[in-house]
Amino acid sequence: MSEGFEPKIVAFACNWCAYSAADLAGVSRFQYPPNMRIIRVMCSGRVNPNFILKAFESGADGVLVAG
Amino acid sequence: MEKCIACGACSEKCPQKVSNEYDAGLNKRKSIYVKYAQAVPLKYSIDSDTCIFFKKGKCKACEKLCPAGAVNFEDKARELTVNVGAVIIAPGCEVFDPVTYDVYGYGKSPNIVTSLEFERILAATGPFGGHLVRPSDHKEPQKVAWIQCVGSRDIHAGSQPYCSGVCCTYAIKEAIIAKEHQKGGLDTAIFYIDLRTYGKDFERYYNRAVDSKVRFVKSKIAGIVTDPTTQNQVIHYIDEAGRRVEETFDMVVLSVGFKVSQEAVSLAERLGVDLDQYSLAKTSDFQSVKTSRPGIFVCGSFQAPKDIPHSVIEASATAAEVESVLAQSRGSLVKTKEVPVEKDVRGEDPRIGVFVCCCGTNIAGFLDVPLVVEYAQTLPGVVFADKNLFSCSQDTQEKMTDIIREKGLNRVVVAACTPRTHEPLFQETVLNANINKYLFEMANIRNQCSWVHSNDKDAATQKAKDLVRMAVSRVSLLEPLYDPEISMNHAAMIIGGGLSGITAAINLAEQGFHAYLIEKADVLGGNALKIHKSWQGEDVQQRLAEMIGIAGSHKNISVLTSTELKKVDGFVGNFKSTVETNGAEQVIEHGVAIIATGALESKPDQYLYGTEPNVLTGLEMDSRFNDKGFSAKGIKSAVFIQCVGSRIKERPYCSKVCCTQSVRNALKLKELNPDMDVFIVYRDMRTYGLREALYREARAKGVIFIRYDFEKDLVVDKDNGNIRVSFTNYALQRRMEIKPDLLLLATGIIPIRENPMASLFKVQVNDDGFFVEAHAKLRPVEFATEGILVAGLAHCPKPIDESIEQAKAAASKASALLSKEKITVEGVVSRVDEAYCVGCGRCEEACPFNAISLETRENGEKISHVREALCKGCGSCAAVCPTGAASVFHFDDREVLCMVKTAFE
Amino acid sequence: MSKKTVASVLVAGGGIAGMQAALDLANSGFYVYLVERSPSIGGTMSQLDKTFPTNDCAM
Repeated sequence: MSEGFEPKIVAFACNWCAYSAADLAGVSRFQYPPNMRIIRVMCSGRVNPNFILKAFESGADGVLVAG
Repeated sequence: MEKCIACGACSEKCPQKVSNEYDAGLNKRKSIYVKYAQAVPLKYSIDSDTCIFFKKGKCKACEKLCPAGAVNFEDKARELTVNVGAVIIAPGCEVFDPVTYDVYGYGKSPNIVTSLEFERILAATGPFGGHLVRPSDHKEPQKVAWIQCVGSRDIHAGSQPYCSGVCCTYAIKEAIIAKEHQKGGLDTAIFYIDLRTYGKDFERYYNRAVDSKVRFVKSKIAGIVTDPTTQNQVIHYIDEAGRRVEETFDMVVLSVGFKVSQEAVSLAERLGVDLDQYSLAKTSDFQSVKTSRPGIFVCGSFQAPKDIPHSVIEASATAAEVESVLAQSRGSLVKTKEVPVEKDVRGEDPRIGVFVCCCGTNIAGFLDVPLVVEYAQTLPGVVFADKNLFSCSQDTQEKMTDIIREKGLNRVVVAACTPRTHEPLFQETVLNANINKYLFEMANIRNQCSWVHSNDKDAATQKAKDLVRMAVSRVSLLEPLYDPEISMNHAAMIIGGGLSGITAAINLAEQGFHAYLIEKADVLGGNALKIHKSWQGEDVQQRLAEMIGIAGSHKNISVLTSTELKKVDGFVGNFKSTVETNGAEQVIEHGVAIIATGALESKPDQYLYGTEPNVLTGLEMDSRFNDKGFSAKGIKSAVFIQCVGSRIKERPYCSKVCCTQSVRNALKLKELNPDMDVFIVYRDMRTYGLREALYREARAKGVIFIRYDFEKDLVVDKDNGNIRVSFTNYALQRRMEIKPDLLLLATGIIPIRENPMASLFKVQVNDDGFFVEAHAKLRPVEFATEGILVAGLAHCPKPIDESIEQAKAAASKASALLSKEKITVEGVVSRVDEAYCVGCGRCEEACPFNAISLETRENGEKISHVREALCKGCGSCAAVCPTGAASVFHFDDREVLCMVKTAFE
Repeated sequence: MSKKTVASVLVAGGGIAGMQAALDLANSGFYVYLVERSPSIGGTMSQLDKTFPTNDCAM
């Protein structure tokens, strides 16, 4: 892995917990790298394996399912 | 206040720092402040007691800096007069201030803290960011001690004689959490008098603490001395055997109890509400939320010390009381909104409008909003894009509605803060412009972008563009949705005709709803038929008879005794239940159901029970007292054994009522025959809350309390025709023998095994066999399935006053549904495309809400069916469906995957 | 009772008990004035880190 490597990460976040935690990170002004894109779902149970494969197919280097 | 956008600029620049009461004084806040990040309303306010302008007449830094012009120094306190039908007081309590007592050393070292201060130390939002450190040197402590009953169970001036009811369990919680914080093996010790983990699942929690090596030391504290060089604390205590012991800790937490605040007392005085000897609101067991003044009700810790779920239950109980008092005027002051007619935009090409919010400088200060707007204009389907200074302000809302109409937009994206707080507001804006509210999407460019990348403007701008692109691609695929409405049958079915069931039925009947009260036995009353007195000494048989009389004659109540529930069909608003009375079946239609099936007193198979006539259970003793012919004259001695079959491996819960019942019955025996020797052999005396007064009275009247060692044998046998109880005295570690004339076994409460309600209503029971509520703290009378409620012993062991409260709470929850003609459910629900469904049943298994079931078609094929009323739109079914037949409206595969595809260019 | 009652209620105290009472009444068709001394509702519960026995976040 070269030093300049910046992974692209797709995150599926449950509306009720992980998504609100990401909101709270903002309220608390925590700083984190800008290379994650959060997609809100109503429950992490909504995420089927196909979503994850599609994310990789679309160029993501990592996928986070949080809920 | 309307103008404040909670950006925090005012607070950041405010020069005045004062002690932060929210963090229990452990750090500072500014004079202009919000109490905490999630505060409601999220508006900054000036604390005029400390503000420099209010004290010295100049400063106003906040006014100059506020980007929204929201600071108003002219604002004055105003007196308002409102006309109301009832009043509920819930002023809460303060915690005891331990500075009163020298013995605890509070104030002498910063490392002696109250339990509330320790909560803030543990909290991620607290003064140390959730790192467990000592206030004196910010080092991680290695040893922490908790001292119980600080300011509680103490008759010295300034303290409270009652038990605060919550401190034992919260100390356990703090110890467990502290251990989780400190990975290196934190040593924790809790110094206690009696460990009172009497609530639902509390005993398990205690056992868990023991397993994770939290030490429990039964002791009397003699003093806490600070070592001035190390700031360590030396605790001097007397252990149970009477030895003087000392041990050093890095930090000491004082488990402070509840204390009535001066404000609460003065509120009660102004309202003319009577107070008891503790200055708490005076109530009774059967009317525990009614104050002395009609129309004024009380709930929460000002009624008596209590924990959160009990406060929540009691609050709903006060609501039920008010609902029945004001039933005839219900709905007359509620404002209903006119719903705008929606334009049908199906089949139209997307005409998307993008509004990018500056949020003052919260977004515009950290990323290039004009660039984002410019970029949005280039996206497919976008016909309009512009920025707003504050999208959520009233004038901007109106402006947006006008633009949507003028430009003929049919889909809208707002790039601003979070949909979790602002989606409903913008959905309303869109709806006001006659567009379906589901044709809207937010891009979260504040909480998840500008605020978290505030040091990198280019990256933040790029991410904001990406988020807008993702939102635009999604909004162009969204379809209009309509929130389904379901009709509401206005009757309730209550299963179980004990005290809880009768209470719920009467309250609902008084509220004007019909109640079907189903009882398996041939009479109403349940366990209460055997109870002699409530803990405060009210005559249970007299009250119960009155209530049965009301239930039997009320026009809104159908009492069905000797009746069993056989079958339940339908869902909230539309239940159809089959009941059987003496062989005859009938179908009852109802909108809600309350499960109040109760529990049983456990009958022991040990200690000579059943073979010896003078060995009785608690309820059997109560029944004797109810018998007018009962005489205690011949009884020279009596022994009560506590926790018979409770708090054991097979039944690891506390039955909550037995300690109080035994103490009350011991007092009754003493009253009937003052010469009788009465012993209570116990593990921990759990006369929680105000019940502590009974324990004190019993000791004063000569009842002898002996703690036995549970690990060593307790034997009951016969010796020369006498009952003989032998056990190991915990303090002395020596065997003791008593030969009583009467032996009372406090046997505890057990659930009804394989309660048919669980399968009939598809609701869960816990490992102990009691029903599982929707949320242990905040929804203690509801099930996860809407329209089904629980009350009384079926939920967990509890005394009469708490069963009555829970029954009223269930009635309040029921009335919220029953009072409506129709209820609307979320449009975001699952659907099953029958053409693709193969009837495999995986969706039914995956659904956490019982909203999907397999149905058999005429040709014998199975097919899955969604009951929209129960569906919460989580999409678990769609995730497991092998054929793609199950999907979720608003979050179907395309609507999610388009965002995945457009996440990175 | 022949006198018409007023369908509004004053709840004094915006802690967990006051908030819950207000919510129940509003959901059941009554107008509620929820009165709190401090600038925001939430009471003591909002100061707690976690709650027993589930260790849920109090917030």
